[in-house]
Amino acid sequence: MKKVDHKKALAERLSARLGRRAVLKGMGAGLLTAAASTGAPGIARAQQSGHLKIASIKVIDTLDPHFTGFLSAIQIINNIHNGLLKIAYDGTNVTFEPDLAETWDLEDDKTHVFKLREGVMFHDGTPCNAEAVKFSLLRVKEGEPKSPHAWKLELLDEIEIVDDLTVKLHFSQPYAFLPVALNGSTGRAGTIVSPAAVQKYGADYGRNPVGTGPFKFVSWRENDAIELEANTEYFEEGMPKLERVTFVLMNEASTALAALMAGQIDGMTDCPMQLVDQVDAFPNAKLYGEIEGNYTFVGMNCARAPFDDINLRRAVAWALDRETLVKQAYFGRAQQAYTPISPPMTDFFDPDIATSGRGQWFDLEKAKEFRAKAANQGEVEVTYMMAERGPVGTRVAQTVAPMLAQIGIKANLELIEPAAWVKRRNEGDFDLYDFEWVADLDPDETLYPEFRSDGAWNFGKWVNTEFDELCAQAQVVLETEARKELYYKAEDLLMDEAAIAVMAHMPIYKVFSNKVQGFEYIPADLVNLHTVSLA
Amino acid sequence: MWGQALGKIAQTLVVLFVVSVASFGLLKLAPGDPIQIMLGSEFSQEAYDSLTAELGLDQPFLAQYADWAVRFVQGDWGTSYVARTDIFTYAFKEALPVTLTLASFSLAFAILIGVPLGVLSAVKKDTAFDAGAAVLALTGTAFPSFLLGILLIWFFAVKMQLFPVMGYVSPWQDFWGGIYHMILPGLTLSTYFIAMITRLTRATLIEVMEQPYIAAARARGEPSWRVIWVHGVRNIAMPLVTILGLQLGVLLQGTVLTETVFNLPGIGQMLTSAVLGREYMVVQAGVMMTATLFIGVNLLVDLSYPVLDPRLRTRK
Repeated sequence: MKKVDHKKALAERLSARLGRRAVLKGMGAGLLTAAASTGAPGIARAQQSGHLKIASIKVIDTLDPHFTGFLSAIQIINNIHNGLLKIAYDGTNVTFEPDLAETWDLEDDKTHVFKLREGVMFHDGTPCNAEAVKFSLLRVKEGEPKSPHAWKLELLDEIEIVDDLTVKLHFSQPYAFLPVALNGSTGRAGTIVSPAAVQKYGADYGRNPVGTGPFKFVSWRENDAIELEANTEYFEEGMPKLERVTFVLMNEASTALAALMAGQIDGMTDCPMQLVDQVDAFPNAKLYGEIEGNYTFVGMNCARAPFDDINLRRAVAWALDRETLVKQAYFGRAQQAYTPISPPMTDFFDPDIATSGRGQWFDLEKAKEFRAKAANQGEVEVTYMMAERGPVGTRVAQTVAPMLAQIGIKANLELIEPAAWVKRRNEGDFDLYDFEWVADLDPDETLYPEFRSDGAWNFGKWVNTEFDELCAQAQVVLETEARKELYYKAEDLLMDEAAIAVMAHMPIYKVFSNKVQGFEYIPADLVNLHTVSLA
Repeated sequence: MWGQALGKIAQTLVVLFVVSVASFGLLKLAPGDPIQIMLGSEFSQEAYDSLTAELGLDQPFLAQYADWAVRFVQGDWGTSYVARTDIFTYAFKEALPVTLTLASFSLAFAILIGVPLGVLSAVKKDTAFDAGAAVLALTGTAFPSFLLGILLIWFFAVKMQLFPVMGYVSPWQDFWGGIYHMILPGLTLSTYFIAMITRLTRATLIEVMEQPYIAAARARGEPSWRVIWVHGVRNIAMPLVTILGLQLGVLLQGTVLTETVFNLPGIGQMLTSAVLGREYMVVQAGVMMTATLFIGVNLLVDLSYPVLDPRLRTRK
């Protein structure tokens, strides 16, 4: 392999933003927002005002960034904490920028140096320094109880404290996934928590989170509300603009929409697709949303009959009419997927994928050809496990079943409740099911843990060692083009052997009333409120 | 009388014990695993095992039950798995008052609207008013409460902006604010009971009005309103109280949907999210509270008979 220029690799990762950063550096922090907001950058402290009430209609498990499994929790966590890196979006490109770090350099392809911002304090008054960074990373990597995100730092060998504000991370291999792992949002592993607070609260840190973020945690009343207040010492100048934020915890999305229309709340962290038309017709609110880093699929159990038969799987993959699915299951709002890699991964997604000949799409003739090669030529009867879960509930299953009937597969739809569904999926007790992997920012998290032969989330038990090797190689290649090629090869194997039948990339929506200004949308299901103000 | 009461209380305790064992067992039998739900989609086997051990879910069933029961009686209801919140505070101090407020409002609505409507129907038997009330009552019983709730929200809260869409304000802290927030949910939950009480009042009152003591009262020349509201209505109190006690279960069921639609942080919402998340301890606390409430109210109903009807008082 040719020698990698790691400086160039880093520059690529920071993308076109680098030029603008250099210009804005002199103005201090908050470059993006400084450029976007009307206020003059460089004012001493923000004058906070306004109380934003925003509905959160999904389960929130814990506000501990190192232990949560839910995006709805991260939406709130991300307003309380910062990461070493953060996700930025300029309307076309997703990039990773230093957040708590002031600079991020590659010493060689395995050693990353982060210089921290000076004078940043946690909400409990303790300093956010190199020690705190080391503490947080170790808590994820080898803490007790074990963090579900520990695998993201598996390759991290040593954390060296150079001085009070400089940390050097030594990895055992070049680690291409690092920008995602070390950001404070959906990566979670790089979120920095207050060591003093973790020691004080122990397992209850998730009810008493203490970070460096624009808002401080105030209270969490079960099934009622999570309250935050402005951190007046926040390091990004002029932020936050709001004085208080209340996340109103709700179960019923239509009630949340009614409350928004009546002016009782100012927004929703998530707007289900079936309500989007109503929001569109309502003049006093604005919808934010684009196709995000996700893909939906019909999963097949490759470990047992009948879907241990590759030709039967291929028949399913080619029999799904994605256009109809998008229209009927996803309210016409999703985008047909050909492979798992999704549009926001701008370095890896092929905008011309529809005509590239790669991936899976609807071709009934081809499906019937594969079906004719299948071992079982009689009617195949299978169980399709579904639950009232996910963004569209049981709609996918109901749309897919008649499509399968056309190729002689009788799918018995079995409706079970979500907890039982999760258990059976994890135990591999199903023939068919549909699911979605969401908020992916890098092909590694899109492909590797899901389809690696011994992967924890490889519920369909598809085994292909060539695929494993390609993904493992791609993890340690820093150059984007070379990485992309490896992932394309891996994807081609996955799609050809039809471990899944890929369906769609979904838009994820948020709604804010017109009073809410300055919200910066990021296609990773985040609700960052530091730039938001109320008119 | 006290001996009778003590016997009934002892019965109550036995029933509560049976309820606790049954619900504890049923929850364990239900498919679904709290650990998998807690860890979301991204977790390793080690994380799974260490959490299982930490929560004591690797212990045998009886050991788990005994451990829970001893602590429960002492007021230590444990900590919820996912949210790490103290269950006693959450269930008893936060959720229960909300549900009690909602249930009281609905009962009040049911009695204040249902009884007069029933009395008028009985008095104006077989008139257009009676027929109208009958149609209303039938609709009320048949109409699903969650749909009514959503319709009320859209009409009174969104279109007319008369009431808030959702939320709970404690009437102990802000009396009028509390009432203001409870009108729509209270009405939603009470439609079924308004209808039921109207029909029951009408039927029993018609019967009562044919009794000799009513004729006697009329013969004494008492004014008509006094005959109806004092002599008549007083005598329908007993069947009314009995039915209300028995139907309390239906009312508590109804709070689940009503609380969800109006986003009230009560026991109904608590139970829904706890069941879906397999929060065994929270479900158990909720079941015990509702069972106690149901049995307790029926105990009170039993004990109230001698008060309502002097003929039932035991003589020395």
